[in-house]
Amino acid sequence: MTTRTKTRGQGTALGRAASRLFDSKWAGLAGLAVAALAPFLIATPYALSVMTSAAIFVMLASGLNIVVGFCGLLDLGYVAFFAVGAYTSGVLSTRFGLPLLMTVPAVIVVTVIAGIVIGAPTLRLRSDYLAIVTLGFGEIIRITANNLDVTGGPSGIYGIPGLSGSPVVFYYITVVIVSLAVIGASRLGRSRLGRAWRFVREDEDAAEAMGVHTYRVKLAAYIAGAVWGGLAGVLFAGQLSAISPGSFTFLQSALVLMAVVLGGMGSTPGVVVGAIVISLLPEVLRDFADYRFFAFGVLLIVVMLVRPQGLWPHRSREASS
Amino acid sequence: MGKSRVAVIWSLAAAVSVLTAGCGQGLLGGGSDGGGDEGPIPLGMLIPQSGSEAAIGPYMKNAAQLAVDEINGKGGVLGRKLELKVADDACDAQTAVAGANKLVTEGVKISVGGYCSGATLPTLPVFGKANIPMIIPAANSQELVDQHLKHVFLINGTGTQQATAAVAWMTKQGAKNVALVHDNTSYSKDIAVRTQRLLDESGGPETAILEAVTPKESDYSANINNILAKKPDFVYWTGYFQEGGLITRQLRQAGYRGAIMVGDGSVSEKLAEIAGPEAAEGVYATMTQTPDTLQGAEGWIASYSKKFGSNPGPYSNQAYDAVRLAAEALKQAGSTDGAKVISALEGINGFQMFSGPLKFTPDHTLSTGGFQILVVKSGKFALQDALK
Repeated sequence: MTTRTKTRGQGTALGRAASRLFDSKWAGLAGLAVAALAPFLIATPYALSVMTSAAIFVMLASGLNIVVGFCGLLDLGYVAFFAVGAYTSGVLSTRFGLPLLMTVPAVIVVTVIAGIVIGAPTLRLRSDYLAIVTLGFGEIIRITANNLDVTGGPSGIYGIPGLSGSPVVFYYITVVIVSLAVIGASRLGRSRLGRAWRFVREDEDAAEAMGVHTYRVKLAAYIAGAVWGGLAGVLFAGQLSAISPGSFTFLQSALVLMAVVLGGMGSTPGVVVGAIVISLLPEVLRDFADYRFFAFGVLLIVVMLVRPQGLWPHRSREASS
Repeated sequence: MGKSRVAVIWSLAAAVSVLTAGCGQGLLGGGSDGGGDEGPIPLGMLIPQSGSEAAIGPYMKNAAQLAVDEINGKGGVLGRKLELKVADDACDAQTAVAGANKLVTEGVKISVGGYCSGATLPTLPVFGKANIPMIIPAANSQELVDQHLKHVFLINGTGTQQATAAVAWMTKQGAKNVALVHDNTSYSKDIAVRTQRLLDESGGPETAILEAVTPKESDYSANINNILAKKPDFVYWTGYFQEGGLITRQLRQAGYRGAIMVGDGSVSEKLAEIAGPEAAEGVYATMTQTPDTLQGAEGWIASYSKKFGSNPGPYSNQAYDAVRLAAEALKQAGSTDGAKVISALEGINGFQMFSGPLKFTPDHTLSTGGFQILVVKSGKFALQDALK
């Protein structure tokens, strides 16, 4: 699963401009500025709801990017961690009356445990087998939530308090948390651990031979992804106020994975762009009603045909110098 | 790098100034409220137009449109016309919340939608915050009313009412040992558990077994074995028709001869097709009034099919009634103000709907559920007993 592609048209002026923009440090700041200024342009409840969902989806995608993009572990059940985070926070806030932010430490602990419990047996497997087992775990979490009493069974949990009464404040809190998460994921990717992840992705046996403890490194990627997903789940529970097993289906895992692949695996700005595209497109296409998901599918296929390496592909620093 | 930085800042500044000049909907634009006191009164409707339940959407939308057109033909309400605004909820919580916010942004005064309970539940606070009354035509899970929200009104029968009707029919049939089978979805489990509770209290028929099946399988023989081991003389399936058809067929194949009854989610001609005509014959169902079983609705069915070129389907009548009820509440309130419309809805007494004269209980549900017993006769559901 290599993502190193250097086929971008660098000969044309447009290509040069594009790659200068892609490499610019300021792209992230510009993105954050757009996110911060957007409510000044349009602050209708609808726009805020869509933008908040998009921000949460960005967080999910950047978490999965650690697992799939950095470390090359194909995870088809990522929504399991999203569900664990949402349910932990939902149960604690409705049963014990905790404010949403107070549930965050518990969510982190629970998702780390979930990451170890799910990761420890599965990460001994490679490639296709890993994908199949993660797919299974994704379903196990959903079906467990469907059958437990504490999670409200099939009807789920409702009446979860938000972070504040105003959707604008909620949006800004979400943007701040998501930006920190994206920056954090990106810094992790460039750390010593991040280099080990990339090594494992490129060649696991070579990494092992060079002294990288691949199993521990992979587990670390899995746990980091789990914490990111769980925190996104807290925001999700706060935004919707009601969660049920129906929100955590395999389709959701597939959509997050699609955001990562569409944006460019391993590329932080790419994954952010991919997540925004995946979460906004269905809303933009709302007027097509019955043809909504048909149009969505066709557009995704077109994007993958035109830019198979992703919208904003990753170029490693070592290679581009 | 310096050049690109300047370029980014300039283009950002340009974009901001163009956009802020273009529309006044931002934080600084002084929240303009769509749908003021002029023009048509917008009614919002959240229904599934995509996803697994997409088939229901057109039935509800067309019927609501029919009611809007009829009311507008008579001059509208409060001297203004009504306008129906539809949004897709895809039977999914997140899509439904976005859709509800879209309707709020478009300035709807009353919500007349809601089919999937799981997708409707998270929209309650969205409409509540905007002070918009909700008349929910189809979704009927108990959680919708358990929060005792002032703005939520249900005009479909609830799980409790369906369970009551089921127990009444079991008792009437002289059943002794009842097997309750559900598929672990919120709607289905709710009915089964409530039926079990009523059976425990009634002292009549006993619950032999409460069995849960996994939806979308093709072989239910393990479940059937569990059920038949308890030797029931009455089986009540509370899930949807796909599994209902299979379970009916496999029960008959396993030699079960007692009565079979299904809940309202299984009332579809597809049930008889899946089960096969012989196995399905004589299967009972608990169901609210549908266009097929309504008495004296021929005129309404004719005008529906004339307008849309197809017959009304499940929940068409409830959607039609929801719009008519919204118009009535607006008329009695004399205003589109949410609080006034809510008290008008609470005060309504004897408004004629398909389910009978309307009066809301303190829980904002129907005082009579209007559930009746249907039976399959040569592949079609026909009225067996109105339970009146």
